[in-house]
Amino acid sequence: MKNASRKSSITSSITRRKLLKASAASAALAAFPAPLIAQTKPFAGVTLHGASFQHRFFTLLQKYIPEFEDQTGMKVDLQLSSFPVYNQQANLELSSGGSAYDFVNVTFILAARWVAAGLLANLDEFTGDANLTPAEWNPKDFVDGAQVPYRDAKGATYGYSWEGGAMLMGLSRMDLMEKKGLKIPKTFAELQQVCAEINGTDGVSGITSFQLHHWNLPPYIQGFGGNIFRKPPGDIMPTLNTPETIQGIEFYANLLKSAPKGVLTYTEDQARQSLLTGRSNIFIHSSSWVTPILLSDESKVKDTSRVVRSPAGPVHDYPASNSQGLGIPKNAKNKKAAWEFIKWALSPDISMRLVKEHGHSSICRRSIITSEAYRKLNTVNGQDLGALYLEVLELPGKGENYMAYRTVKEFPIVGDVLNKAFEQVATGQLPVKDAMNAAQDQAVAALRRAGTQL
Amino acid sequence: MSESSLRKATPGRLVAISVTLLILLSPFLWLLQMSFKSNDQILQFPPPLIFTPTLENYISLWHSAFSASFVNSLLSASLSTALALLLGVPAAYALSRWAGRGKHALSFAILVTRMAPPIAFTIPFFLFYRWIGLLDTITGLVLVYTSFNLPLVIWMMQPFFDTIPASLEEAALVDGARTRTVFTKIVLPMVTPGIAATAILCFLYAWNDFFFALILTRTNARTAPVAVVNFMNYEGWEWGKIAAGGSLVMAPVLIFSLAVRRYLVSGLTAGAVKG
Repeated sequence: MKNASRKSSITSSITRRKLLKASAASAALAAFPAPLIAQTKPFAGVTLHGASFQHRFFTLLQKYIPEFEDQTGMKVDLQLSSFPVYNQQANLELSSGGSAYDFVNVTFILAARWVAAGLLANLDEFTGDANLTPAEWNPKDFVDGAQVPYRDAKGATYGYSWEGGAMLMGLSRMDLMEKKGLKIPKTFAELQQVCAEINGTDGVSGITSFQLHHWNLPPYIQGFGGNIFRKPPGDIMPTLNTPETIQGIEFYANLLKSAPKGVLTYTEDQARQSLLTGRSNIFIHSSSWVTPILLSDESKVKDTSRVVRSPAGPVHDYPASNSQGLGIPKNAKNKKAAWEFIKWALSPDISMRLVKEHGHSSICRRSIITSEAYRKLNTVNGQDLGALYLEVLELPGKGENYMAYRTVKEFPIVGDVLNKAFEQVATGQLPVKDAMNAAQDQAVAALRRAGTQL
Repeated sequence: MSESSLRKATPGRLVAISVTLLILLSPFLWLLQMSFKSNDQILQFPPPLIFTPTLENYISLWHSAFSASFVNSLLSASLSTALALLLGVPAAYALSRWAGRGKHALSFAILVTRMAPPIAFTIPFFLFYRWIGLLDTITGLVLVYTSFNLPLVIWMMQPFFDTIPASLEEAALVDGARTRTVFTKIVLPMVTPGIAATAILCFLYAWNDFFFALILTRTNARTAPVAVVNFMNYEGWEWGKIAAGGSLVMAPVLIFSLAVRRYLVSGLTAGAVKG
């Protein structure tokens, strides 16, 4: 009965005028290729929700996103927040099983935690499917050292890196060094000597640094043969009071005697500014913080600057490096669409456009970093900054992954303890041995409180 | 300050007052002068005290998402304050006039929500809000702030109502006034200083909240304190914008406090002394 009445109402609603309209529309559809375009947009109607912290990469990428939306038919809603705000919100969203995001930034320091907890989708399922990923996308093109944080113990990949940071040494006053007959330091001992001899000359400090000690310190600790953990990621027993670690901490604390007053509370900005204005001679930090002495308009020391590899320790030459990746949450609603976005955002084409059109250099595709266009843009005063960047970024992928200490989920806890202990040493509140013995006990206790089996 | 107390202002006292004021105001003045400097000037060492001021930071704030966050803050703080007063003032009045046995137990139960630190409620709120779709909404923030401000309103207002003699209300009732009229025309005007003081505290709590706003909002309902933190970028902090944002965040509280300062002192002390 119901069906019959519905049928009659439908029939009555089809009028001659409507039929004519429908015929005209069919003719128009046949005449123009619009339906074909629609068919090539498999994600039409999809709104992709993604989140990351604010970074120049995304600011630049946003300019190209309309092209991507046009190609795929999907709408991209990219939420950008500050670094601490993003990490807090994304961590909560993912760890509580949320599905608000289709793609996320996998922050370097959170990568191991998210991968180990199974919060991210295995991207090998996408790269292994020829229908989803063409061969030319080539996942192996990403610098191996930058990819290490995004792999699990079995080697499965959960993120692809969009940004790399490689520790380099910037020297702002080579003119002063030459006057004093000093050469670019290649070892810790030479570094100590150069810093001490330059400090105070012409009002210039020997070295500058900033308050994130657990980023600055480990290369010195490792340089003397120590580490933060016994053998990460497998053995995460803290090793903050070994003779090697103590030697590294003592060395760095002595080095900072040649730094400006208040350096222990300096932010990265303040340290960079003191380098760019020639108030400090040496700054050892990620390339994007150091290379502005050669590239930035703000630099007052372009003519007297050099950017080189950071000095090697007596045991190891382990400059720090890091990377940021893009991944897909395990509970994402639009995984295939999210992969389409990641594939596009990290494609060789977009990477090259970022380099050529915006001079953005901190990318992780080897083919782009070694390209002629990249080399041309990043060679300043005869210094091939790209080659330096690639060399350092690759190191953790060769042989021992010495950056593993930073990608284990226990690092933030131990890193905080290390920061406080170093401040006690550098300000002379405690002798280094006492401070580090206390730090070791505190780190072990804090990890146990957090439920870590040691 | 009265005329007689002014006469007593010895040079020593004036110096002490000036030094105290300088200490109290110096963080605010430092922030304010930073907001008129460029990032380069802010990072200069030693910091220049004489400089050409620029409005660049305020202009770029105006054109950024900060302005929307500022409106979100105004909305969530004002609405939650109004709602807390609307519900809390009658509740305080009822508690004040109620002579039943469970009065003290009920008053204590109302205060319990203020005893636990906000972090204890954050995750339940987050999960519940996600479930019912209130995440990243002004409504969600208003409800959270109201739930935290309501006990404060009840506990602050009750002593004010206690000070009003019941005979006054009884007289009005004898004259033929209805209960609602007694409350709105006789009782409420007498506790206006209390309401003003309570409103300021409620507004301050909601306005200055960072934690709930951080967890419960994303981009649509982001409030001003979270927006200020958004200038701490991975590639460097935008000091000028942080200072300008911080100065702007302080402005409404300052204006609001000045507007009701007549009631503020009497409001904050009357309940405590008479209650």
